[in-house]
Amino acid sequence: MKRPFPPGTPIDMQRMRRWMADFPGYRITVTEERVDRWIGQFRRADHDLAARVLDSVDFITGEQITAAFRSILKSIPGWNVEEDQRDGRWRFVPFSSSSGESGDAMMHKFRLANGLTSKKHKDLFIWKSDLLRADLGPEDTVVFVDDFSGSGTQACDAWPETEELLPGKPKIYLALVAATVTARDRIQRETEIVVIPHQTIAETENIFSPYCDCFSDAEKNDILRYCRRSDRTNPKGFGDCGLVLVFAHNCPNNSIPILHKSTQNWEGLFRRYD
Amino acid sequence: MAKNKSASKETEVKALAPEAIGVKNVSVSALTPNPHNPRMLFDRAPLQVLEGSIAKVGILVPLTVYWASKQKQFVILDGQRRWICAQNLGMSEVPVNQVAEPSLVQNIVTMFQIHKFREDWELMPTALKVEVLMKQLDEKSEVRLAALTGLDRAVVTRCKKLLSYSKKFQDLMLDPDPQKRVKADFFIELYFVLTDRVVNRMEWFSKNIFTQRMLEKYQKRAGLKSVLEFRLMKQYINNARDANKESVISKRLKEFMENDSLTLDHLIIQSADVSASARKLLKSITKVETAIHDFSVQEFYGEEELWLSLERLLKLIRAKLRAAGRRLKE
Repeated sequence: MKRPFPPGTPIDMQRMRRWMADFPGYRITVTEERVDRWIGQFRRADHDLAARVLDSVDFITGEQITAAFRSILKSIPGWNVEEDQRDGRWRFVPFSSSSGESGDAMMHKFRLANGLTSKKHKDLFIWKSDLLRADLGPEDTVVFVDDFSGSGTQACDAWPETEELLPGKPKIYLALVAATVTARDRIQRETEIVVIPHQTIAETENIFSPYCDCFSDAEKNDILRYCRRSDRTNPKGFGDCGLVLVFAHNCPNNSIPILHKSTQNWEGLFRRYD
Repeated sequence: MAKNKSASKETEVKALAPEAIGVKNVSVSALTPNPHNPRMLFDRAPLQVLEGSIAKVGILVPLTVYWASKQKQFVILDGQRRWICAQNLGMSEVPVNQVAEPSLVQNIVTMFQIHKFREDWELMPTALKVEVLMKQLDEKSEVRLAALTGLDRAVVTRCKKLLSYSKKFQDLMLDPDPQKRVKADFFIELYFVLTDRVVNRMEWFSKNIFTQRMLEKYQKRAGLKSVLEFRLMKQYINNARDANKESVISKRLKEFMENDSLTLDHLIIQSADVSASARKLLKSITKVETAIHDFSVQEFYGEEELWLSLERLLKLIRAKLRAAGRRLKE
């Protein structure tokens, strides 16, 4: 989370230009008009608060994601771009495969980031449904690739099935652009997956946490009120993560709903779906 | 001949069983569950009964284990419940019957034989195991695969249908998020449309593109509300074929695929006649159903012609249900 400007900072062209520069290339383009409309959903007296929420958004650009994936792969023991210098066999697999979801897109970025797009590297990239047939053993390595884990719930709940596809007990890594400390610790505690997040998000990044000092308690209550208006079920974001994190390709559902929810009552600036 | 065949099948299954090495005691902590065990969740109540029995008399039947040479640990082939109970009771050792390390195929077959398939399990992981068996044993026959695994033949059929989809779609059934995971039923119901001869003759038809679009329409609830609607789709295609209107249904199906606002009604060509016939038939069947339900078995016990007629009816109903791809349960 970025530290917002102090209360009362004018919402002028300079601030608007800064937001435009901060949110480049979101899948649904962030324009000045859309920012105006988004702030306009708050009561007039709360426009300052809305602007400060936007100041605090941690936007991860496509370039940052590329750099993250490059550095993650370098950090995994036994990896070498040359096959004969690698430890065992390696396979890279999208963690989430839902139609149009982040797993596929992330895998593509991962390939590009690490210069593994040539034909000779094709066999490194497989589907989850290929894993059982791949018959990997303890000397081999599987790297699941995704963008983010907020609560660790998906990885932990799906662990029995994941394990079933990897009976030979290879080394398993989950490469993530970012993960909360809670998610990282939970996955490592409840599964045999080693989580490698490029960016680890601490409890202070939860906008509603008592440890977050970017907003006062009164402001937190006001933000929560708007969050409830946009999403009654998960007003603090999925898993109560209370994040203000946005990726260039999508906004995680663990971020607060006023940023991404699109309902009759609310239009998020960083809508998750078209 | 039939006897010889079944004997050879038995020999084949036996050949897939891991070779016995011997019985000994090993530390409870030295054992690990088999990752090929289809599911590791066990009902609490039966476990408590077993735990009570083990507390009284100990473990009478040794666990079957193998030494996994690469992982360097004992893996349980059979007896995971006994192992859980031993852990709960704080036992330090358990008797084990060690067998030779099984191959991937041997392990999958053994796990299938021990842990009977339950309908509430996700089908895709099971299908992937069937795929390994099909490839490694070069076996395609559903009957033989069913015999080998102990799976119901209908389950093997469903698995094979799922395996006919590209890996991209198979992965959708393995998504870690249960809310985003596409249920196997979607692909199984769609299969009947995808394999329709009329559909496959349509010039514009591509299996992957059509599947992707149907998935999008279903997920957006854009003209497809339930996977059962694929049966109606198939029916409309059949009706069009019978009425020699293949080009009309081809055009309409393409429009339905491309346009989110179109519903299945767009495919109706001869709907009125067929629906009226279906309603008439349903009325007659309801009458017969009531009559059969109401008559007393004792009263008509000696009416052989009636019983023969009922047997013929049952046979006919089964044949029709099978032809419609319905799963029959006893």
